[in-house]
Amino acid sequence: METIIPDCEIIGNPKLLMQSDSTSQKSSSANKPEQPAIPDNRHLATTSCSNSAPKPGNKMPSFRPTVQPPYRPPPNYKNHGPIAKNDAPARIIPISALNPYQGRWAIKARVTAKGDLRRYNNAKGDGKVFSFDLLDSDGGEIRVTCFNAVVDRFYDAIEVGKVYLISKGNLKPAQKNFNHLKNEWEIFLESSSTVELCPDEDGSIPKQQFSFKPINEIESSENNSIIDVIGIVESVNPSVPILRKNGMETQRRILNLKDGSNRSVELTLWGELCNKQGRELQQMVESGVFPVLAVKAAKVNNFSGKSIGTISATQLFINPDCPEAYGLRDWFDRGGKNTASQSISRDIMPGCPRNEVRKTVSQIKDEGLGRADKPDWVTVKATVSFIKTDNFCYTACPLMIGDRQCSKKVTRSGNARWQCDRCTQEFEECDYRYLLQAQVQDHTGLTWVTAFQESGEEILGCSAKELYLLKYEEQDDVRFGEVIRRSLFSEYLFRLKIKEEMYGEEQRVKITVVKAEKLNYSAESRFLLDLISRITC
Amino acid sequence: MDTSNPAVLVNGELLRMYVGRKVRTVIQVLQSNGGITTGKSTDEHQLVIKGSPPPFPLTNFVEVIGVADSNQSICAERWTNFGNTFDTFSYNQLCQLANGEYKSLFL
Repeated sequence: METIIPDCEIIGNPKLLMQSDSTSQKSSSANKPEQPAIPDNRHLATTSCSNSAPKPGNKMPSFRPTVQPPYRPPPNYKNHGPIAKNDAPARIIPISALNPYQGRWAIKARVTAKGDLRRYNNAKGDGKVFSFDLLDSDGGEIRVTCFNAVVDRFYDAIEVGKVYLISKGNLKPAQKNFNHLKNEWEIFLESSSTVELCPDEDGSIPKQQFSFKPINEIESSENNSIIDVIGIVESVNPSVPILRKNGMETQRRILNLKDGSNRSVELTLWGELCNKQGRELQQMVESGVFPVLAVKAAKVNNFSGKSIGTISATQLFINPDCPEAYGLRDWFDRGGKNTASQSISRDIMPGCPRNEVRKTVSQIKDEGLGRADKPDWVTVKATVSFIKTDNFCYTACPLMIGDRQCSKKVTRSGNARWQCDRCTQEFEECDYRYLLQAQVQDHTGLTWVTAFQESGEEILGCSAKELYLLKYEEQDDVRFGEVIRRSLFSEYLFRLKIKEEMYGEEQRVKITVVKAEKLNYSAESRFLLDLISRITC
Repeated sequence: MDTSNPAVLVNGELLRMYVGRKVRTVIQVLQSNGGITTGKSTDEHQLVIKGSPPPFPLTNFVEVIGVADSNQSICAERWTNFGNTFDTFSYNQLCQLANGEYKSLFL
């Protein structure tokens, strides 16, 4: 506060503050140290104020006000002052309630899976990481990941099957590429995180949580989706070494699972699973025991029909302790083992190559095959109904480029010689290679296809050179006609490459026969039986 | 094609349903002497085929068309050689489909 007038007339009858008053003031002010200072008594003492009447005199008594210190509001601990630490333990909340905006949280959950310790190297240098999955009593699941120094703190402490109280981790969006749990968040532990083992067995938290898909539903599952499956192991194949794309060798084992939906599926085990569980399963099946196998987190793939394969996160449980396993065992023992099941993984059927997509002739047009950026590869069962006999072959370069024949069309140079522009060479004899234009038909329609050398030979049953000589040198039209006629109306399994290409100004769909296989009736019957069974269900 | 008297596609199990009727089936020949031929049906039943066999030698698998005269025997009228290899599984499935929900498709 500021003194505006240094001296002023006394107005009214100010009472002198007695000493006792001031002490009482002082004691109360001790509780509130910030109280405004009381006026100084000394000034007042100099003026006489025993009588109420102001002293006459020309000098007016002056009351010198003192400057009070700036006003300060009383202390309020709600918003200011030192922050007190609340060290009370956080409440345990369900995993499903976790989110980054939660504030302080704690969860109590069982470890259902523990990942391997992985080392990596990126722009920031070397690092290590490991993850583990948690399941709580409400069925909520979440993955926990630790990096670098945090790995050292927790890696040994975490054991599958044990229950832990975890708090003070960071919540971030789950990495869907690796994390297949049903939770949009993932916990990242930090140096301040706490992980406490709960020694008393918490029976309310299940050991594992499954969401089994019946095998018949796998058929309509999306490619690359992650699912849980349970079934009886019908057969186990031996483990074979497979060379991976990165040059590393791994093991692969194929086995068949069958369930109450009367469908069976091929399950491919990769890596370590082939050795431990794979071998155990093989021994069980060989000794006549058909165990129940529960698979957690297997990947669906379109590789042959629909099949499933293990990924790094997959866990296998042989004869697990769960109601679905008992139900399956019961079904199998009471007759399920004798029912014929249809396989949704077509590879099981003999003579059926993997990744074969069957189409009919009309589907090529109806589905617009060949119009995408990449060509479509399909298999069509059809009959050759017509072969164009003009220009059924071309003169080809016989020279080898590496391990392949050049085969480029060669032109006449001079009278008796041939010239290849690619090999820039001339030679006496050229080769003849098929360039067949043929019409193929099935019950849905007909279409033109082009067949080159190998498929041409398959269709006509002789080499292009033989046929050329027959027609143009021997000029035996009768026998030539017989060869052509003989090749018509045979049913083949054509492997077709379909691609839309520009012909002059217009886009035309070009169909090339990559392979022409005479039908194997037994294999085809099995294929049809399988097709029929799918219509019925 | 004379469709007045169609033969029902049967295997061992289905034969009993058509006793007295004209049937056709494929069997694997086990033994053939005189007027009796024993064969194994595609579902592993043993069937007796009565009637004199054809003048030509029988292959491993033979189709017989005739009248079923009991659960396990057929009086054969026609014999056709089906060769030495045969997909019995597919044929068996065919019999089941032909007598099951797709019966109406077959004569």
